[in-house]
Amino acid sequence: MNAMQLDMTAEDEAFRAQARDWLIHNRPTAPAPREGQASRTYATDWLAKCAAAGWSGLAWPKEYGGHGLSPARLLIWYEEYARARAPSPLDCTFVALNHAGPTVFARGTEAQKAFHLPRILDGRSIWCQGFSEPGAGSDLASLKTTGRIEGDHLVVNGQKIWSSYADIADYQELLIRTDPGSKRHKGLSWVICDMTLPGITVRPIRNMAGVTHFAEVFYDDVRIPLDAVVGEVNDGWSVAMTTLAFERRTAAMALQLDLSVKVEELIALARPTPGTATAERLADLRAEAAGVRAMTYRTALRDPDTPFDGSLVRLTFAELAQRIERAAMDVLGPDGLTDSHWTHGYLESYSETIAGGTAEIQRNIIAERILGLPREARL
Amino acid sequence: MSFDLTPGEDLRQILDAAQAMLDSHYPVARLQEGMGGDDLDPLEDFGAFALALPEDAGGAGFSIVEEAHLHVALGRHLVGPGALASAIARRLDAGVTACIGVASNGTWTLVDPEGADHAVIRVDGGFGLSPVTDPKTTAPLGAGLPVAKMARTGTNRPVDADLARLLAAAQLLGVATGARDLAVDYAKIREQFGQPIGTFQAIKHHTANMTLGIEMVSALLDMAAIALCDGHPDAGFQVAALTRLAPRVALDNARTGIQIHGGIGFSAEANAHLFLKQAHVLAQFIGPADLLSLPAPLAPYGDNA
Ligand SMILES: Cc1cc2nc3c(=O)[nH]c(=O)nc-3n(C[C@H](O)[C@H](O)[C@H](O)COP(=O)(O)OP(=O)(O)OC[C@H]3O[C@@H](n4cnc5c(N)ncnc54)[C@H](O)[C@@H]3O)c2cc1C
Repeated sequence: MNAMQLDMTAEDEAFRAQARDWLIHNRPTAPAPREGQASRTYATDWLAKCAAAGWSGLAWPKEYGGHGLSPARLLIWYEEYARARAPSPLDCTFVALNHAGPTVFARGTEAQKAFHLPRILDGRSIWCQGFSEPGAGSDLASLKTTGRIEGDHLVVNGQKIWSSYADIADYQELLIRTDPGSKRHKGLSWVICDMTLPGITVRPIRNMAGVTHFAEVFYDDVRIPLDAVVGEVNDGWSVAMTTLAFERRTAAMALQLDLSVKVEELIALARPTPGTATAERLADLRAEAAGVRAMTYRTALRDPDTPFDGSLVRLTFAELAQRIERAAMDVLGPDGLTDSHWTHGYLESYSETIAGGTAEIQRNIIAERILGLPREARL
Repeated sequence: MSFDLTPGEDLRQILDAAQAMLDSHYPVARLQEGMGGDDLDPLEDFGAFALALPEDAGGAGFSIVEEAHLHVALGRHLVGPGALASAIARRLDAGVTACIGVASNGTWTLVDPEGADHAVIRVDGGFGLSPVTDPKTTAPLGAGLPVAKMARTGTNRPVDADLARLLAAAQLLGVATGARDLAVDYAKIREQFGQPIGTFQAIKHHTANMTLGIEMVSALLDMAAIALCDGHPDAGFQVAALTRLAPRVALDNARTGIQIHGGIGFSAEANAHLFLKQAHVLAQFIGPADLLSLPAPLAPYGDNA
C-alpha cells in the first residue's frame, strides 16, 4: 500500500549478481600504491579494465558514453563494490569522473565533449581541481588568480593550492577571475587547463599521512586558448556549481556505503566481548553506519524534485568516518603506532572534515539554508 | 517503481489531516496545565489506532510505514504515551485501554496509567501486554508524566518487539524534531547583543547538530518501517540500529533545546523541558537492542568469496 518501497526486481537481482561476480573476479589483489606515477597507473589500469567490461561511467548519460543507470542500480553497484573491497573510488580518477566530466557534459561545447569525455571514461586522462588558493579556502569567492583576455587566449597568473593529484594530472579544472574589476562570485571563469602548458609549475605537498597527495600550482603568463573556457566567460561560478547535485547524489554514494563495510571489518578485527565498552562503541558505530546508508538511500531514491541538501549526509559521513577510524586505533592498541591500511586510513580521515567544505562551513549552511537562521555578515 | 523513497500522496494526505487534528486537540501549550491524562478520543476518532489494521478488521488498511510517520507527528506534539500503548495493544486485543511500562527487578513502572486496564511492558529482551492490577502512584520525574509502580504479574501476552520499537522510535524522532523546531523558532526571535541569537555560530551549530541527528533517524526509520512492512530479512537489524540511535538523538536534542533557550529554558514555564521528559519516558520504553548479535546487510565478501 505504501508508495515507498525497497524491493528488488528479478532484473535488479540479476544485475547485483553480475556486478558481484565481475568485481570479485577482477578486483586487483595488490594494495594500491599511495602516491605518484605508480598510483596513477594502478588507478587507470583498474578504470580501463572496468571500462572494457562496461563498468565505467555508470552514472553518466548514455549519449556521453555512460550507462545512465538509475540511482537504484548505482546503489546496488556501489554496495557490491564496497563488499568486494574494490579500489577506493577516491583516487586520481575521481575528479575527472565525478566532477570535470559531468561539468563538461552539462556545460561544455560539442568539441570539448568529443575530445575529453571518452578519455575520462577509460582512464586516458586524469584531472585535478584548481579552485582553492592560499587566500581563498572556505571563502572561495575571494579568489585572485587572474586570466587576462588577449586575442583568442587567456593569460593566467596566480597560484592555486591543495590541488589533489596535480603532480600526475593531465588537465585541471581551473577557476579564475577574468573580469578585472569584479568581486566575489561575479567575473569568474571555469577553464580547462592543460597541465603541460609552459608557465605552469607544480610543487607537490606532503600530507600528514606522509603521502604526496596535493600540490601548489603556480601560473606565470600561462596562455590558455579561449575555447578551453567551459560555459560563458565570467559565468564560472554557475559552472562550478553545476555538478554539485551530481557529485552529492552519485559520487558520494560510493564512499558513504563503504562505511558500512568498514565497520564490519572493524568489528571482525576487534571481536568484542558482549557487554564491554568496546562492544557498545562498535554497536553505536554500526548503527550510525546503517544511518548513513539510510541517508544515502534517501538522497538517491527520492524524486529528484524533492528539495534536498547534500550537506546533511556529507557531514554525517565525514564525522562518522573519523569516529570509525579513531575506534580502529583504539582496537589496534600498540599496532596503531605502525603503518598499516588501518593506521594510514586513520590519518587520511582527518581530511574528511576539511576538503570540499569544512565541517564548520557545512554547519553554517545547514543552519542558514535549511533552518532559515539569519545569515552572518560577509565582506 | 520498486526502489523509491519518495513519500507517496496517501502519506501526505494522512499527515496533513493528522496535523490539523493535532493542532486543534493536542497543541504542546496544553501541557502547561501538566503532563499526562491526554484524552485519546480525538485520536480514536481519527482512526490513529486502526491505521495499519486490515480493512476486514475495522482498520484503514494502510501500512506500518504510514503508521510510523503518524507517530512521528504524535511525538512532536508530545501526545501521552497511552497513544503508543494503544497502537501496540489493539493489535492483540481491541478491547483494552493501555499504558506503557518498564519492568525492573520484579517491579513494573507504569507511565501515565490513569484509566488504563492493561500495560504494554518492556520486560527482559522483549515486550508483553498485561493487565494492570493495583498500581501505586509515585512522584514523577520533575513535573513530568505521572508514574505508578506495581508488582509484576504472571500474565503476559507477547508483543511484537520490532513493532513496539519502531513506533517508539518514531515518537522519539518526533520529540527530537519538536525540540529542534522550538529552539530554531526561539533563536530567530530572541535578541541579544542587538541581533537574533540565531546569528551566532554557537547557536547555529547546535541547531545544525540537532538536524543531523533528526535526518539520520528519520532516514533509518523509513528503512526499518519498509523492511518490517515488506518482511525483508534485514528488518531486525534496521530496527535495532534505530533503537540505538533514536533515544540518543531525542535526548541530545531535548538537552540542546533547553540550552538554546537560556534561563527560560530552565523554567517550567517554557516548553523546552517537556521534550526532555517525554524523551526519557520513551527512551526507557524502547530499551536497549543487541545490534551486534544480528547479521549485517552489508558485510564484506572476504578473500575467498
Ligand atoms: C585532502 C585535501 C584535498 C583537497 N583537494 C583540493 C583540490 O583538489 N582542489 C582544491 O581546489 N582544493 C582542495 N582542497 C582544499 C579545500 O577545499 C580547502 O582546504 C577547504 O575549502 C578549506 O579551506 P582552507 O584550507 O583555506 O581553510 P580556511 O578556510 O582557512 O579554514 C580554517 C578554519 O577556519 C574555519 N572557518 C573558515 N571560515 C569560517 C566561517 N565562515 N565560519 C566558521 N568557521 C570558519 C574553517 O572551518 C577551518 O576550521 C583540499 C583539501 C584537503 C584537505
